[in-house]
Amino acid sequence: MTAAVAGAARPPRRRNRLALVIHQVRYEQLSFWRNPQSAIFTFVFPVVFVIIMGALFGSVGRSSYFGGLSALQYYVPTIAALCVLGSCYGQLAVALAARRQNGILKRVRATPLPAWAYFAGLLAHCVLVSIADIALIVGVGRLYGVPFPSHWPAIALTLVLGAAAFCALGVAVASVISNAEAAPAVAQLVLFPLLFLSGTYLPIHSQLLNQVTGWLPIRPFNEALTGPLSRHAGADWRHLAVLAAWGVIGAIVAVRRFRWDPRPE
Amino acid sequence: MQAELTSGAAPAAGRPDQPESHPPDAITVAGLRKSYGSVHAVRDVSFSVRRSEIVALLGPNGAGKTTTLEILEGFRARDGGAVMVLGLDPGDKSAAPELRERTGLVLQDIAVEPYLTVRETLARQAGYYQGPRDVPEVIGLVGLTGLEKRKVRSLSGGQKRRLDLALGLIGRPELLYLDEPTTGFDPAARHDAWDLVRELRAAGTTILLTTHDMAEAQALADRVVLLTGGAVVAEGPPAGLGGRDPDRARISFRLPPGVPVAALPASASVRDGAVVIETAEPTEELHRLTGWAVRRGVTLPGLTVDRPSLEDVYLRLTRDSAPSGAQKGAPDDRRRRRRR
Repeated sequence: MTAAVAGAARPPRRRNRLALVIHQVRYEQLSFWRNPQSAIFTFVFPVVFVIIMGALFGSVGRSSYFGGLSALQYYVPTIAALCVLGSCYGQLAVALAARRQNGILKRVRATPLPAWAYFAGLLAHCVLVSIADIALIVGVGRLYGVPFPSHWPAIALTLVLGAAAFCALGVAVASVISNAEAAPAVAQLVLFPLLFLSGTYLPIHSQLLNQVTGWLPIRPFNEALTGPLSRHAGADWRHLAVLAAWGVIGAIVAVRRFRWDPRPE
Repeated sequence: MQAELTSGAAPAAGRPDQPESHPPDAITVAGLRKSYGSVHAVRDVSFSVRRSEIVALLGPNGAGKTTTLEILEGFRARDGGAVMVLGLDPGDKSAAPELRERTGLVLQDIAVEPYLTVRETLARQAGYYQGPRDVPEVIGLVGLTGLEKRKVRSLSGGQKRRLDLALGLIGRPELLYLDEPTTGFDPAARHDAWDLVRELRAAGTTILLTTHDMAEAQALADRVVLLTGGAVVAEGPPAGLGGRDPDRARISFRLPPGVPVAALPASASVRDGAVVIETAEPTEELHRLTGWAVRRGVTLPGLTVDRPSLEDVYLRLTRDSAPSGAQKGAPDDRRRRRRR
């Protein structure tokens, strides 16, 4: 800490909003890719999952058990949904709770960075990770004979809407959880049974169960992705509407309850 | 190297001549109150900080320092009283963007993300401000030169704290809050940090800091504000705090065996065999004392002459909130000990 020279004050600059969000995304991405844990969980896990499913069911052709699809046609979209969930909901809830606990959020709050820019950066970051994830899974699925999808606009729409909805739910959960140690447990506790019941791991043939989970966030997302990814269908508006409603609920809770401070009053 | 820092502060026109009126104080706090449920964390705090001044907020844990700081920083809403920071009210949400632009803060917890490098951490933060300092400049200021490409997670605790300090400076703040800034520093790093804080002041930055280190307050602060039980119990330059006369000296030694207290040639207070004589004329008093001892053929074990330190005053004024009530007699500021 020797004496040092300061350049003259630079003229004030006005950053435009997009530049600010890109600035945020850039550092979120840097942080993310350097954290071996997040990289492995987000990318190795789904690939391994598809490969296991391929090994187990790769030879199973179209069957009524998988709703008229081949096993891999069934699993590619549900695992893609699982990945978006993992990076948008799970990791975000855990990361935000941890950042709050160790004071990083409070420090961000003390800067002129607007809150919306912080969250827009997080959302854009999560969308980017989800895109990479889905590309990877579709690529691996291709190796097991799942044809490339054709309805890219529908996939993009579903992906962005799903990512936004699950990000909002992730922030909402991070807002409700008060300490970082509890965050992974709470996030998983909600997620894991719901994943099973929503048909992520196995097709569900209970009419009643499907009706109930149809109103919860995961099954509509699975369905909305299965259409364009495996059935060459367009956007699934009904399921997207349910997903959007959950996103709005999550956003309302997040906006009302989100705290930057590790020691609230 | 030339030591010149610039701060976001407007050129402090006429500052030395008329510090009271123009320009207005960087911080004024009057009658501040804040409760958490039934706990009165801050019951009546008033003080001010002039531009380009270093003020230390002192007090035991639970005295209300952090709450006061957090109200000034805009993190907490106050229950009562008036607060102005750089001419703005931190309780007013619409003032927040401007206040955040013009103030920097270093929190008690080290809050840095592990996977970015030192340079990236600072470049990201710099991107939030309109007129930030240059990243390499700030890295040099806090003594992290050569570690620019190191990941934050591989830094030592002290190095992380310096990065924390750098994050507080990067936005070229007019006002800097430092919450126990040198905790965990080795002595050399601490002195470097003090030099840096003084340079910042010289460049026009106002600094409000909290510390438990009385040497730090003594070395850095132009004025200290001592809080106990949510109220200001003393305020002033560290040398004269608590009404102590900086010219008054303290002679102390252990009572020689076989010598009755009454035989001492001066009025002294004796506790457990430790003799303390307070005097405004230490030269004369010492001469009389040592002359007496030589004549009687006794030695005065552990003979020292010192001046009551800031720490002594601090302990006297905050004694009732210290865990061991070994000594008694803090005169008028006895307060119920409170915990938060």
